[in-house]
Order: sequence, then C-alpha cells, then structure tokens
Amino acid sequence: MGLREVSTSLIEKELEETENIFALLTMGSFAGIPSPPTGIILRILPYMKREVYVMIARSKNLDDNLAEIAGIFSIE
Amino acid sequence: MDIYFFLGKGGTGKTTVSASFSVGLSYYNKNKNFLIASLDPAHNLGDAFNIELSNKIKKLTENLSAVEVDLEKMIKEYLNDLSKNLKNTYKYLTSFNLERYFDVLRYSPGIEENAVLESIKKFLNMNEFDALIFDTPPTGITTRVLALPKLTLMWTKRLMDIRRKILDRRKMVENVKGKTEAIIEDEVITLTADEKEDQIMIELVSYSKEMEDLMKLFQSDLTKINIVTMPEDLALFETKRIIELLNKFKIKVNKIYLNKYLIFDNPPEVIKGKIIEQDRVIEKMREEIKNINIKDIPLLSQSPRGIEDLLKFYDNYILE
Repeated sequence: MGLREVSTSLIEKELEETENIFALLTMGSFAGIPSPPTGIILRILPYMKREVYVMIARSKNLDDNLAEIAGIFSIE
Repeated sequence: MDIYFFLGKGGTGKTTVSASFSVGLSYYNKNKNFLIASLDPAHNLGDAFNIELSNKIKKLTENLSAVEVDLEKMIKEYLNDLSKNLKNTYKYLTSFNLERYFDVLRYSPGIEENAVLESIKKFLNMNEFDALIFDTPPTGITTRVLALPKLTLMWTKRLMDIRRKILDRRKMVENVKGKTEAIIEDEVITLTADEKEDQIMIELVSYSKEMEDLMKLFQSDLTKINIVTMPEDLALFETKRIIELLNKFKIKVNKIYLNKYLIFDNPPEVIKGKIIEQDRVIEKMREEIKNINIKDIPLLSQSPRGIEDLLKFYDNYILE
C-alpha cells in the first residue's frame, strides 16, 4: 500500500471514530448515556439522519471491531 | 428591557407579590408597557387579579398585560411539528421501530425546563414591552431554567469542537479522494466538509449564540431576581440554596421579600413558639445574607385580590 493511501485510511478511520463519538454523545440516550440538554437535541435532530445511520451501522458491526483494528495496522 | 423573576418555595406568596409588583410598577410608570407572565404549570395569577387569564395575552390596564403560559400545550405543539418533520426525514426509521423514540420525547428529562426557557425567549423577542415580570414555577425548575443557558453552552461548545474535527477530517479525505458519499436506504448522499453548509454545525452555532445572549442577559443588571420567602427554617434554607446555586452561574439575587411575617402585640400562647422561630430565623437571615436587600411584608388578615387591592399592597409594602 502506498504511503498516501495508508495515511488517508488512518484519517478516514479517525473520521469514522469521531463521527461515532458525535453520534454517541447526541443520541446516547438510546444506550443509557446521559444526554446533552434536550434543547440542543431538539434543535439538531431534524438533520441527524446520517448520525442515526452511523449508530445503527456501528451497532451492527460491533463484533467486527477487532478485525477492523487489525486491518488498520496491517496485521494478518 | 428589564426582566423581573420572582422565585421561592411553594406557598410563600410569589404570585401575590409579583402581581402586586407589576400593578405598582405599571401604575407609577405610565409611559412604559408591562407584561406579567405566569410560568407555573399550576397557575393562580388570574386568582390574584380576580380576572380569568389564559394562554393569550390579556390587557388588564392601559399599560399592563398578563398571560398564563400553558406549558403542556406548548410542549405538545412543538413536539407535534418536530415529529412531523422528523417522520418525513426519517422514513426508514419505521423499519427499526425507532419512531417510538420520538413519541416519548414528551417525557424526556429537561423538556419542561426547555419549554419554560423557550417561552421566556418568546416574550423577550416580542419587543412590545419595556419590562417583563415572571411568576415562576417551584424553585427546582426555575433555578435549572436560569442555569440552562450556561449549561447548554458548555455542551454546544464541546459538540461544535467534535463536529469541527469531523468536517476537518472529511476535508482531508475529500482532498485525496473527492467528495465523501454515503448510501442511506439506497439513496446516495454527498456529505459536506464545509462548516457553512453542514446543517448540524449551522444549528449548533445559532443555538449557542442564542444561549450566549440569554446567559449574558441573565447575568446582567437588566435581570432582577427576587426571592419571596417566609420566616421559617425551611424557607430560609431554600433561600440560601437559591442564592448559592445562582451564584455558581454568576446570576445575582436582587432582593428578598420576607413575606407573611407575624406581628402581635400580645401573642396568644399557642403561637408563641412560632414567633420565637420567626425571630430566630429573621435574625439568622440578616446575619447570613448581608449584601441583599431584605424587605418585610407582614401576614395580612386578608390576601389582596384584584388590581385595586394589589396597588394598595404595593404602596404599603413593596414601594421603596
């Protein structure tokens, strides 16, 4: 793999994780995590379509996590 | 615009004092326009004025209007709109049964405080009045409402940081691979990396601006927090708690009305104990709360009802 590709994929991974954190913080009440003040959530909820999707995709692939990390660090 | 809040334990006489305050203020400032709004879900502002009040602003005198905010109705209407909007955006949610989540938003913690804050905001934006007087719900809710802007700001700031990081990384990837696309329910969506286009970021920025304005307003001298209390131990504890809690959020208490103060030349045997408690509490209050003006209002044989009575009450006990 070229250096450019490796570094991009690392950034992509960081992006994905940050999106997870954002989704978890704003919609954590699904999983029992304390939420931000209701006003914020009500304000951004109409635009959170993708975040809901991120959460669902994330919970679907939870058992793949180890494989994913192995993939990032090219462990075979 | 001046804003007056009347806070205190239930039964201390917030409604009577705030109603009388609004009548007196409007009577002696004829060139200004006043609104008194009850934010308490258990309304009795209308009873104090002896006039039936509702959710619609009603003119009581030339320059004083009154309203009893229907929080329940407000929350319902707000959530109905939101729910319609959401169900359109989130069509695919039905397959996950997630739409039920939106139906229970009504019961999410903090929704009441949010509704109170929204209605305060609504009155502030009306520009029709020179001063607003709020008769508030029990202390617990009110102090949280006053603290909410600062609390919300802490959250929006954090969420904006994370959002910025997301958009930043997205931009980097975009530079190498072109626009990021996502497929949601067979629909291809192009994701933006621009802060000015990201709807979530736009909402976070505008909401945090609103909250910052409110926080500054609550901390400024335009907001006057008045506590109505009684010469009893529990009421004193609560008064001190309100002062401390608001202090944490840099909100100052303007005045304390010590209401229902018993005056007897020859107190009957059965209430002698009560009078001893009263004197002790008053002494303690003056000792412990030094920098806030405390105004005494004795217990009256009859509660003032109606505009005329309320004006007399203002002249006798509230006017300085």
